[in-house]
Amino acid sequence: MKQKASFQRYLNRFGWFCVLPSVILFGVFMLYPILSSLYYVTRRWKGMSNTFIGLGNFIRMAQDKVFLSALGNNFLFMVVQIPLMVFLALVLAVILNQGIRRWKGAFRLAIFLPAVTSLVVVSVLFRVLLQENGMLNNVLLKAHLITQPIGWLNDAAWAKVTIILAMTWRWTGYNMVFFLVGLQSIDPQIYEAAEVDGASKTRQFFTITIPLLIPVILFSVVTSTSGTMQLFDEPNILTWQGGPANATMTTALYIYRQAFFINADFGYATAMSYVVVLISGIFAFAQMRLLGDRGNS
Amino acid sequence: MKRTRFAAIAMIAIMALTLGALSSCGGQPKMTDTVTVWCWDPNFNLYAMKEAVAVYQKANPGVKVEIVDMAQDIEAKIISGLQAGGAGLPDIALFQDFRIEQFLSDYPDAFVDLKAEGVDYSQFAPYKVGPMTVGGKVYGIPFDTGSTGLWLRTDYMKEAGIDPDAYLGKNLTWSEVIALGEKIKAKTGKPLLAYQSDNFDMLRIVVQSTGGQFFKDDGSLNLRSEAFKKSLALFKELNDKGLLYQVVGWSDWINAINSDTSAGFLNAIWMVGSVKSRPENAGKYMVLPTPLIEGVPGAANASNNGGSSWYVFLSSKNKARAVDLLKSVWATATPDNLEFYNKILKDAGAMGTFLPSQSSSNYKAGDDFFYKGQALSKDFASWMANVPVLKYTPNYVPMRDAVAHATLNYFQGKLATIDEAIAAAETEYKQVTGK
Repeated sequence: MKQKASFQRYLNRFGWFCVLPSVILFGVFMLYPILSSLYYVTRRWKGMSNTFIGLGNFIRMAQDKVFLSALGNNFLFMVVQIPLMVFLALVLAVILNQGIRRWKGAFRLAIFLPAVTSLVVVSVLFRVLLQENGMLNNVLLKAHLITQPIGWLNDAAWAKVTIILAMTWRWTGYNMVFFLVGLQSIDPQIYEAAEVDGASKTRQFFTITIPLLIPVILFSVVTSTSGTMQLFDEPNILTWQGGPANATMTTALYIYRQAFFINADFGYATAMSYVVVLISGIFAFAQMRLLGDRGNS
Repeated sequence: MKRTRFAAIAMIAIMALTLGALSSCGGQPKMTDTVTVWCWDPNFNLYAMKEAVAVYQKANPGVKVEIVDMAQDIEAKIISGLQAGGAGLPDIALFQDFRIEQFLSDYPDAFVDLKAEGVDYSQFAPYKVGPMTVGGKVYGIPFDTGSTGLWLRTDYMKEAGIDPDAYLGKNLTWSEVIALGEKIKAKTGKPLLAYQSDNFDMLRIVVQSTGGQFFKDDGSLNLRSEAFKKSLALFKELNDKGLLYQVVGWSDWINAINSDTSAGFLNAIWMVGSVKSRPENAGKYMVLPTPLIEGVPGAANASNNGGSSWYVFLSSKNKARAVDLLKSVWATATPDNLEFYNKILKDAGAMGTFLPSQSSSNYKAGDDFFYKGQALSKDFASWMANVPVLKYTPNYVPMRDAVAHATLNYFQGKLATIDEAIAAAETEYKQVTGK
């Protein structure tokens, strides 16, 4: 009995020894930065010097229209782009799963490819296509779909459309892969039964496929939400530093610019990060409650 | 899941860590004699430094110099390094003149005082030395000038029935330029100037040529000046008369210039390289002095855009060598060094601001690539002497962004008047800087 207890203790100690490296790394790279950021938040930084300003950074944030409109842009992209992308990904997944018999792999690859392509590289091409005298406008003009060239990069409203299209281009394939996996786990007998009952393909999609895929959709929506809250590459490179005139500025980009370009004010940047993390958390929680409950019932 | 782009958040976190960890291990002398330099633009800055190193290695064969092309984000990387007490920084870095005051004010103990190292600043163009001076200390070695001119396509002028020779070498006013532009546009359909609509540079060129300042002496914003209002009005006129060919983005602007979309552009001497990179441009361009806005006292037919200088970090482990490299090549008038300045001017269009170098042969020679073999360097150098000095202050970047944003909104009609545009720029500046 006694021997067993000491062996148990040895096992315990050995266990702790095994997890020690990761605990240390976690402490140094996660815990310490998080704790020290609490200190940063209360200060106004200017290069190497800083002064205590209490909640000043949060008051400043509430009055900073650039930050508030950046937050608004994040919400806009979220509300418009995520449903669009999820629906598109679902439809593509269903088509790839059922409709197409040949070249399935090639299509899958083609749709997934944007997700693994560097936007920095692609945006060079995109920018050429999207100029006022660029190819896209020329094609649309020639086809008489528009009468005036569209300012894809130059007009505040259209630049937002550009960002949404670019995000959709890049991430639809990625989410589609999850839906494809989800689809393959749905029992084909259900569809056969529906077929026998005379349900149309569209009806099957809305009453069988979507409800059974709710857990996957939930995953996709939650991760896309936090991804959109951190949206950085597209507005930084494609519409160039959140342009035109901050019309596509996002919080992540603004945080980066505050810390590394405009002011070297790490206190303010950290305070904004806190708000963004908090909002992302609330969203994830709300979505899981909302969709999660329905998924279980 | 979107690619987790935690850039800002993660870097702040990592920095907090390195701050503590790395400050303890600085200051150990390194034995290898290697100097690292960070800069950007392989055909211009990197090239110039490589040539300088070649001269230096003649006298110091054992020294290795590693020149790194940092392209984008060089300032962001330097800020990370400075926050970490110098960790990961090179020995020498190139800074844009408009950025350096921000660094000197945010990181007062980060750079080597080169005046104390014996550099003679009376030999450099004074407008370059100003921004790098704090109190009695001077921190950089001035590199290139951004002396500007109006670049015009003589082939389009001829097509529109205008004799380029009537304009060659003339000081013009903006109303003359607008009249010229309207004629060209009517006949050839080409807008006069290629214009980067998300960029501040062209506005800055015009404001600086009027002798106007964006900041008052106490560092506060100074946008309600006559000079600024007149410049903005001029831009609106150019825009409304269809004389601007608008593109978004720098590389797209260069593209526009090299694809015959406009009859010219307004920018600095360092555009020589981009213009020459396209053989079809040969013989077509002439460069006139920067046009003048009438009725502004102190205005000149000269302005400046861009230009950078070299700095040595105090954290450098090979400080003496780095200082020596800059000082003995870039700031000493030996025949070898003057030939170096002469060479980079010819090959890259990099015009130094080291005054003794300006008597070298290439500063006077005609250039066959340009219309009637214009002596481009000589002209730019003579305009450089008249450039009104622009105060940058540490807040140049937020000012630049705010003004560029307001200007765009004014062009697009979202802001109705100049006063509204100025007010919008002031508000954004105030909010972004938190002042």
